[in-house]
Amino acid sequence: MNLRFSFTPYPVVGMSRAVLQRYIEGNDPISGKPLVPELIEALTKPLTEREMKPERAGRPVPVRLLEPNTEENLRRLFLESGWTDGLPIILPTNERVAEMLTGTSHDPDEVVGRMTITTTQEKIEYTVEKVAVNAVMAGARPEHFPVILAIASAQEPAFPSSTTSFARMVVVNGPIRDEIAMNSGVGALSPFNLANSVIGRAWTLMTVNLADSRLGETFMGSLGHNLNYNNMCCAENEEKSVWEPFHVQKGFRADESVVSFFRGWSVINSMGAANSVRPASEETVIMLKAFAGLRSAATLVMDPLVAKGLKDQGFKTKQELSRWLSEHVEVPAGQYWGADIIYSLVAPLARQGIEPYASWSKLPKDKLIAPYHDPNQINIVIVGGETNPLWLTTDFLYTQSVSVDKWRPKGGIRRDARPLRMPVGATCSDGTCGLG
Amino acid sequence: MAQAIAQSTLTSPLFTVLNPQGRPTGVFEPLSMAPRLDTLEGKTVYLVDVGFAGGYEFLEELRAWFSRNMPAVKTLLHRKKGNMFLDDPELWAQVKDKGHAVIFGVGG
Repeated sequence: MNLRFSFTPYPVVGMSRAVLQRYIEGNDPISGKPLVPELIEALTKPLTEREMKPERAGRPVPVRLLEPNTEENLRRLFLESGWTDGLPIILPTNERVAEMLTGTSHDPDEVVGRMTITTTQEKIEYTVEKVAVNAVMAGARPEHFPVILAIASAQEPAFPSSTTSFARMVVVNGPIRDEIAMNSGVGALSPFNLANSVIGRAWTLMTVNLADSRLGETFMGSLGHNLNYNNMCCAENEEKSVWEPFHVQKGFRADESVVSFFRGWSVINSMGAANSVRPASEETVIMLKAFAGLRSAATLVMDPLVAKGLKDQGFKTKQELSRWLSEHVEVPAGQYWGADIIYSLVAPLARQGIEPYASWSKLPKDKLIAPYHDPNQINIVIVGGETNPLWLTTDFLYTQSVSVDKWRPKGGIRRDARPLRMPVGATCSDGTCGLG
Repeated sequence: MAQAIAQSTLTSPLFTVLNPQGRPTGVFEPLSMAPRLDTLEGKTVYLVDVGFAGGYEFLEELRAWFSRNMPAVKTLLHRKKGNMFLDDPELWAQVKDKGHAVIFGVGG
């Protein structure tokens, strides 16, 4: 970028005034030069020829086919080029990519979208064929391709550049769940099911290769996030749910196939909760207080047994539970404003006079506020196999849902002559099994 | 061992595979930097916090440094409107109109 940069020691946030003064009196840790004189020089040193007339910065378009090589050398090339998630991949040969392309009726050269993991770098454009290449690498089969294309069409990276290390979740609804044998039941979030595994992984590989993800250059997540290997890819257990399917809540027909996206950082398993002493609703209030409450966002990933219990308690719909939680989660104003993410993203809204933040910013630190003030941002997804009434409480923000159906092949999802049968967990025909 | 691997490579079949990378769109045209000043003495320097946590406090201390050490430099401390990902054309216009230079502070 055509700018003059100087750097302070890191971090800046949370440092005392004395430390900040030491930063200012000290050196730029990158250049080793005294910081303030360097800033003054940046504003007064005459421009170089290149700074006055910068060249148009452009990267070459990657060649379509790589030089022929041995499998061993190609595997090494993919790893050393940063084109993988660090795990072995299926090499995307012409034949395998052509086979993947039978999973849709769309032209291989059709542009699916553009994305980047940063907010300032140029976006990367990708076609149906490029998505197929990454789907092959992930180990996907043609029947998975419509869902993977739908994910690609959403133009959301699985992991943004952020130093905060985001986690993502992608949830599939509708008939395609069964057509491609996704798991929404026992162990849906565990590593057993092919479709769940490779679709989630394909999103990761697309983020690596189609969203300009380069470790230490564009991706700066300090800790990183293990959920990025698969992005909690699963299907909603619509059949066992006592409530409306998630995609129907978002305006889709029940017979449409849809992928929905979520973004956040943190997941708490309710295993530590005393569900037998306090109802799940009250336990969820306790867990939600652990999060900052950014944008009022939370997502509960709930075993069907928990939903049944909550319905028995009187929550007839997901929306009723969301509304109740919105009203009952309260934290002191000081706790809310003390979170860095609130300071960075919500304090500007308060300064602009946007409510309720403007009013909250004027409250004493010990005054209680309801950070999940918008019940529409509290989402509930039913997943699991009724072997234990547990749930996950997350700070995930729902971002969007997109239809899968436009990406289907005209002849329908192709089925093998000998169907691939994945292990399935024990199911319970009358819905009363488990510990509930 | 190394010889065995080399031999294996020589006898292994060759594969042609597709490049997994997308196409850079190259939409950013570089701009020339603004002309530099001869000196900051008597000039107005905007200190703009873009919104990452800690940036404003750092710039407050930088402003104090200028007051102590270069009082002839007038500094104006501003927060960019909105969060760090949003544009603020009004502030940029103000900086161009009333300022001679700008230092952006990126906290975190």
